[in-house]
Amino acid sequence: MLSVPLLLGNMLWLMFLLIVTWWASTQNFGNVIINNVVAMLIATVKAVFVIWIFMGVMHASKLAKIWVVTGFGVLFLMFGILGDYATRQYEPVSGWETNVPNNGGSAFPREWPPQKKPEQVGENFRPRG
Amino acid sequence: MAAIASDHGHGHGHDEALHHQFEDMEQQNDSYIVGMWTFLVTEVMFFGALFLIYTLYRSMYQMDFFLAHEALNVQMGMINTFVLLFSSFTVAMSVRYAQLQKKWGVLSMLAITQVCAGAFMVVKYFEYQEKFGHHLYPGPGFGSHPEYLHGATPNFAQLYFGLYFGMTGLHGLHVLIGMIVIGYLMAKWWRNSPMVTKDYIPTELVGLYWHFVDLVWIFLFPLMYLMPKP
Amino acid sequence: MSAIPADPNVTAVSATPRTETNYLNADWSIKSWLLTGDHKRIGILYLVTVSFFFFLGSIAAGLIRYELTAPAGFILESETYNKVFSAHGIIMVFLFLIVAIPAILGNFLLPLMIGARDMAFPRLNLLSWYLFMIGGACIMGGMINGGVDSGWTFYVPYSSMYANSNVTMVLTGIFIAGFSSITTGINFIVTTHKMRAPGMTWFRLPLMVWALYATGVVIILGTPVVAVTLLCIIFERVFHLPIFSAELGGDPVLFQHLFWFYSHPAVYIMILPAFGVQSELIANFARKRVFGYHLIAFSSLAIAGLGFLVWGHHMFISSESMYQGVVFSLISFLVAIPSAIKVFNWTATLYKGNIRLQTPMIYALGFIGLFTIGGLTGLFLGCLGTDVHLTNTYFIVAHFHYVMVGGAVTAFLGGLHYWWPKMTGRLYPESIAKWNAVLVFIGFNLTFFPQFIVGFMGMPRRYHYYYFAPEFQPYHIMSTLGSTVLALSFIIPGLYLTRSLTKGAKASANPWGAHGLEWETSSPPPTSNFLQIPVVLDEVYDFDPVTEHEQDKAAQALEVPSYLSNEAKSIESEKEKR
Repeated sequence: MLSVPLLLGNMLWLMFLLIVTWWASTQNFGNVIINNVVAMLIATVKAVFVIWIFMGVMHASKLAKIWVVTGFGVLFLMFGILGDYATRQYEPVSGWETNVPNNGGSAFPREWPPQKKPEQVGENFRPRG
Repeated sequence: MAAIASDHGHGHGHDEALHHQFEDMEQQNDSYIVGMWTFLVTEVMFFGALFLIYTLYRSMYQMDFFLAHEALNVQMGMINTFVLLFSSFTVAMSVRYAQLQKKWGVLSMLAITQVCAGAFMVVKYFEYQEKFGHHLYPGPGFGSHPEYLHGATPNFAQLYFGLYFGMTGLHGLHVLIGMIVIGYLMAKWWRNSPMVTKDYIPTELVGLYWHFVDLVWIFLFPLMYLMPKP
Repeated sequence: MSAIPADPNVTAVSATPRTETNYLNADWSIKSWLLTGDHKRIGILYLVTVSFFFFLGSIAAGLIRYELTAPAGFILESETYNKVFSAHGIIMVFLFLIVAIPAILGNFLLPLMIGARDMAFPRLNLLSWYLFMIGGACIMGGMINGGVDSGWTFYVPYSSMYANSNVTMVLTGIFIAGFSSITTGINFIVTTHKMRAPGMTWFRLPLMVWALYATGVVIILGTPVVAVTLLCIIFERVFHLPIFSAELGGDPVLFQHLFWFYSHPAVYIMILPAFGVQSELIANFARKRVFGYHLIAFSSLAIAGLGFLVWGHHMFISSESMYQGVVFSLISFLVAIPSAIKVFNWTATLYKGNIRLQTPMIYALGFIGLFTIGGLTGLFLGCLGTDVHLTNTYFIVAHFHYVMVGGAVTAFLGGLHYWWPKMTGRLYPESIAKWNAVLVFIGFNLTFFPQFIVGFMGMPRRYHYYYFAPEFQPYHIMSTLGSTVLALSFIIPGLYLTRSLTKGAKASANPWGAHGLEWETSSPPPTSNFLQIPVVLDEVYDFDPVTEHEQDKAAQALEVPSYLSNEAKSIESEKEKR
């Protein structure tokens, strides 16, 4: 059974981590990728504490623990869908150069990640008709 | 197959909370917890797909999403996150009281949880009201007041807000369902129904659901409200 | 069961007399059926409703086949044809194949096979049936209202922007039916983990249970993804929330990724229980222990796992990255391996087995051949180079019908016949059934083999005319002829099985002389499954060659008719010995 100090302590720790999340979002740790990784890491740490203590996985059966890991594992696997988008730019098919205006009619930018400066975002817009 | 009959009758000397298909309370409790976690895994995949869509579009249109997200009110989001975290604590306390079979402890903690959930929905209502007022709901009227777009391209901002309303809306729906279920649980405790007084598992299952709702918000909040500048 | 010694101190479970009160006649009221928690009754409820939906889907199939006999289309317009093949796909996939073996045979048999009194969550089981009914009603409502013409795959932007308004109703129905599937999966997983009888370790389980467990895992991990994807289409249509809209910068191919992330594992939901049934049939009708039990058990899990890694092979021509395509192609070849392991093991089980060619065995043998053809043609489709030519042609149609109809439906019929005495307490007429099984095989091959050829020659799928290639007509006519035979061979079991409910011979507890806990209780079983919960001492397929041989000789000596139950033979032979 979970004791009151443990639950209270967990909540206060999570609230502290929330403040840390907010603080981290105001900082710049280098480039945008690291910023996002830091934010997601803090969120993951919070999630682990919620799952381990609040949801009682700490003293749940081994089966429940396996299910938790499997569930998030398969979720992670689903993010493999992003691999399609990440590898499209390397396709050696001639005629799909990135200099084609309007990306050759595709709604999808051929460059990944898009190497655009903010004021050039409008180039991705495909005119209607 | 070689099998002998056991003289294992069923229904001998156990408490009334034991359902007929189980042999003992330990098996029953374990089964319910594993079953609930199985359901929560489905919910993880459910929300996970939406997170995937969001990840893809945000990495495709980083600047536009960053500019569009400035229309969101970070303070309201922080209040909501604190409220949900606190409600997670109170629902865990209610599970503890249920294990100790303390009716009034359970009821008071669940009541606080309901209040927190209600506060969450009220804050969400104000947030949505603000967005509708600024014509930020996707559709024909989107972007008719471009100052609220903060410079994002209207089309990609529509994608952002589509995902925003979709994901927070679905999450809000789960909070509402949670409120209804907690209300039902409170009614059962109020009436001293043996289903909940003799067996702490229903309370624990509701608690697990509520923690999951909190979990989704823990990821949703930094992703949507606290974007670092690309 | 002849393996149990007649020790008076042990109450041999197989000597359970045919109890007058069984789960069917315990209570005749409608309320007891509609509010039942009994997994057996829920299995029967599913049987009735799923058969109804199968019938509706078959009518759509018949319309498709008849339309295609003429190159320029003569009974249906283009729009209507699109609605008919969409209806066929939606009903057959979501209301029949995903549900049939798991919800009917799985619900009925799982607790019996593991020695439990019921599923872990009986009320959730009942909810699953109600969700299925509501989902089915929504889908049929959408069909009656005019139907959808987007195909069962609902590709965007057609389904999210341009298709007619019935899409929302049909998608809601599929969403609800998905939850029915999820609750069934939860029940399977928890029941298998928690409710096994004493002594029933994992490796003493029947292979059907392994298959159902793997199916449950696939359902849990895959169905929510398609649920939310279809919900996104509803968001786009009803709430104007753009998610896949290409005009606004969204990616329609993302829908395909998410849709196929479920729909590929979905086909494994359809076939894994069929594999389970197949293992049971082969073992019990070859009177031999399944060759490579551990391999088959682990291969079920391997298929469940690897099946989540191959969704992209449905998207080779959809502007998916070529490098992703290579990875998916490779893994698709790998996922064929566990299936092949099963086929080899079944064949090895048949070798030197004591084969009884009764109806379920005919279906099982047919399965091996048809599934192998279907599986091998899947490899042609999994190979990037050939897929470019074969995709979206009738080759694909033939491939998936070989595995789904030649595989899953054949196994379903085989299992239904095998467990029919257990479920209803009646024997069906064996001679008609045997010939019908052969008819299914003939009709099926006549229907779908020409489709391989015509697909290879270039006939596109989902087209209702082919006036540009009238040379395809003979193949289509042959296919339609075959489909008529197939339809007949599906109607005939419907008739004789229904008739056997009242006119069939009463079945004993174990008419096949089979091994398994479900045969240790009466036919039909009492509501609480077993009078006493058995304690399991040995693995399930413990056929002893010496005993089998003796039984055979005794049966021959008595000149017992070949179709009479093996148990009757064994009882006769024991009487003879005393």
